[in-house]
Amino acid sequence: MRSGLTRSIAALFEDAHQLGSLFGRTLYYLLHGKREKGSVARMMFEVGNKSLLFMCVTMGFIGAIIAFQTGLQAKKLVPDFSMIGATYLKLLVRDLAASLGALPLATRVGAGIAAELGSMVVTEQVDALRMCAADPVDYLVVPRFVASVVMGTVVLIIGGFVAYLAGMAVAQMVFDVNPHTFTNLSMVTTGDLTLGLFKCITYGGAIAIVSSQRGLATFGGSEGVGHATTEAVVGSCFAIIVLNLIISTLGYFFVPAL
Amino acid sequence: MIRLEDIHKRYRSPVLRGIDLHVPAGCIYALIGPGASGKSVLLKVVAGLVRPERGKVYVDGEELGELDDLGLASVRRKIGMLFQNYALFDMTVFENIAFPLRRLYDLPDTEVRERVAERLARVALPGTEDRDPSRMSGGQKKRIGVARATVARPPIVLYDEPTAGLDPVTSQKIYDLIRDEQRAQGTTVMVISSDVSGVLSIADRVGMLHEGELVFDGTAEEARDSTIPAVRQFVHGLVEGPL
Ligand SMILES: Nc1ncnc2c1ncn2[C@@H]1O[C@H](COP(=O)(O)OP(=O)(O)O)[C@@H](O)[C@H]1O
Ligand SMILES: [Mg+2]
Repeated sequence: MRSGLTRSIAALFEDAHQLGSLFGRTLYYLLHGKREKGSVARMMFEVGNKSLLFMCVTMGFIGAIIAFQTGLQAKKLVPDFSMIGATYLKLLVRDLAASLGALPLATRVGAGIAAELGSMVVTEQVDALRMCAADPVDYLVVPRFVASVVMGTVVLIIGGFVAYLAGMAVAQMVFDVNPHTFTNLSMVTTGDLTLGLFKCITYGGAIAIVSSQRGLATFGGSEGVGHATTEAVVGSCFAIIVLNLIISTLGYFFVPAL
Repeated sequence: MIRLEDIHKRYRSPVLRGIDLHVPAGCIYALIGPGASGKSVLLKVVAGLVRPERGKVYVDGEELGELDDLGLASVRRKIGMLFQNYALFDMTVFENIAFPLRRLYDLPDTEVRERVAERLARVALPGTEDRDPSRMSGGQKKRIGVARATVARPPIVLYDEPTAGLDPVTSQKIYDLIRDEQRAQGTTVMVISSDVSGVLSIADRVGMLHEGELVFDGTAEEARDSTIPAVRQFVHGLVEGPL
């Protein structure tokens, strides 16, 4: 008898296999596809437009909270705030801007992708596409993948910038740190920037792949669409956390923090 | 033209359990049966949209299970399909109907326009090219679906519930349209319907699915006179019986 645990591990591997295969086919069609002109641009507009404001607001709050809490703790250890801006920036660039921003991005973009593809599945539009030699991966997933990677990265960078500004405001108002002192780029290396950018790109891609896979696997009317949407958000967030663990571990060895 | 041999397909439970079926060229084959008996899944097996776990599907002499993506695409070019849930894209009526032509054939724009206009006139919706299908009635959407399924003049057309939810007059008009088209083009047609008397009026042959099995396969006459209890009950709409 298979226990619940072995069954869920088997399901996890099955999921990973499905995602890997969808990712492979997405890359294939990215190079060999013959999708409609303009579909990528339309999706980019949609992803950017849908998530920018939400991202700025969320990251503004998160940035303010992080700056406030770390400031409070730092005050107990070293009562000197001259480096708070520099360390905060390094933290944002190396990890937080991408990893914290990717979660709200997943709820917005991931849910959108899954709901859209899911409703196309239950209304049989995906079958209709296949009848017309339009592979759903080429026609639907690739534009969303490109848009999510490109615009996701752009939006995450903007969100990180907003978080930085919010931190700067908190530092001045609460800890009396002059914005000039706060603006200190000395600790950020090219390695940090590369690592951060790599995270943004990976998360953007992961959100698109996980959510597309969930959307295309939808079955059973509007209830099925709701289920797929929830699973897409949960799955995307889980993927982001796992990927963060992997990338940060690699980063620790290959792009060491100063 | 279409031949199924021992088709098995299961999702969580078995949906198709050993279907053998033959649709000769130029025939209108009606597929009837209660809800969730596997009719839509069977039609998708024929279109190569669902792969059966067991059994063989021959369409125009080719076995779908042996084909790669390219081969499957070339078989699907021969098939037009109307879907139960309309499956209309979020585009104008014109773009919806032109979609198969543009994807499958390289035709000049003027010809695409002409063929779409001809189809729209045929389904009694002339001049609706620029409208948004999501704002049209169920009957109109079905007719746009019929136009899209037939615009590329495929030799095989599959209709999944072309009249579900329509009033009797509109239903009969759609059946007449399906039959006239079939007679004019000599296409092979499979049509699913729960409206037995309507679909029997145009069908050459009838098959009835019940719990994943083909419990009846014969002419429309034979279906009406069948003594098989489930078939008798379904065809005549009786309350008493095994269904
Ligand atoms: N993609 C799918 N995933 C799971 N179950 C499915 C799927 N497609 C169809 N089914 C199940 O197969 C059965 C037959 O469905 P269908 O062919 O649509 O019935 P109908 O005869 O009403 O057209 C139903 O019980 C349905 O729930
Ligand atoms: Mg059905």
